[in-house]
Amino acid sequence: MTDRDDNLESLMRQSLAGDQRAYAELLRATARLLKPFLSRRLRFSNEVDDLLQEILLSIHKARHTYDGQRPYKPWVYAIAKFRLLDHLRAHYADQLRTAEDYDELEEILPDDVTETALSYESISAEVEKLPEKQATILRLMHHDGYTAKEVAAKMGMNESAVKVAAHRAYKILRERLER
Amino acid sequence: MDNIEQLVETLSKDVQPVKPAPHPYLLSLQWIGAAALYLIVTLALTGLRPDWRESFVEPWFIAEIVTLLALFIVSALGTALLAFPDLHQKRLLAFAPLVPAILFVAVILSAALADIPPAPLPEHSIECTCSILLTMLLPALWTFYSLRRYASTHYRLAGSIALLSAFSVGALWLRLHEVNDSIAHVVEWHYLPMLGVGLLGLWVGKLLLKW
Repeated sequence: MTDRDDNLESLMRQSLAGDQRAYAELLRATARLLKPFLSRRLRFSNEVDDLLQEILLSIHKARHTYDGQRPYKPWVYAIAKFRLLDHLRAHYADQLRTAEDYDELEEILPDDVTETALSYESISAEVEKLPEKQATILRLMHHDGYTAKEVAAKMGMNESAVKVAAHRAYKILRERLER
Repeated sequence: MDNIEQLVETLSKDVQPVKPAPHPYLLSLQWIGAAALYLIVTLALTGLRPDWRESFVEPWFIAEIVTLLALFIVSALGTALLAFPDLHQKRLLAFAPLVPAILFVAVILSAALADIPPAPLPEHSIECTCSILLTMLLPALWTFYSLRRYASTHYRLAGSIALLSAFSVGALWLRLHEVNDSIAHVVEWHYLPMLGVGLLGLWVGKLLLKW
């Protein structure tokens, strides 16, 4: 075991005794240790930072399960791996949901999802009858001229969610207008 | 890294002295001790099987009780190790319940093969499973309550092994209480439900031990 590892264990022992300075130093050293580990496994740096914060919180929550007698690194990596797997599981589940939404979109790909032959004004009354979120998205896209990306930023949604919501709104409108 | 630095500041500002969790050996000893006491009290209240003197000279019965006892003890130890994120760095020991489980299955199979002519089936059936499930409730609740104070990174497995340990207590009680020599009945109504309980533990573990 290296001096650096010994140092981590000693910092953790001091932290368990309530030493704030040692704890801050330990968390910083842990963040430095885990950042490359996470960066190799995740694509975006904001994802790495978010997960790193989550891991530090988990370390804080589980610190009573470390007794200072065994090596610190296997303990901390066990928590990091656990949170990483949780994150990836949630990430892929989310991707799967989005993929299903895209499948729906593909059904109407020949139709243009951002432009319609009708003018917005001619169907605005029908648009306003839609659920509020869908109506807002259509209004922003077709009346105010925002792109899906801009609407997403404005409404705190992601772009694909905006497109999917717009697509669902078009479907409802088409059914209503065809009646 | 600004957010990280902010978080470090916040967490370190609030840090208080923390009492480390007990060693998993001690933790499992507490669970085993409490469960053993519970088993003794339950047996004292319900009564030991009247034919216990004759039963305890039957080699397959002794082997069954010994392996079931081993399964209960080793799975309690495994559960305690699984309560720690790093399995207290004793990975092999955490998966040790597999050994008594395999031995137990081997003993039951051998006892079934040696049961010639087969002992008569008792008149009851599912009542045994229900009795075991009722008896295991208290040790299971206590173990899960205790487990929730730790930080398992293998919560599904911890849940499953914890339920197996609790089920072993119930199964031990019934074997020591009920006059029954039919291994076919025991397999069907005592031990096969154990598999179901183990699988249920995977779900309960996720439900109760995720943190």
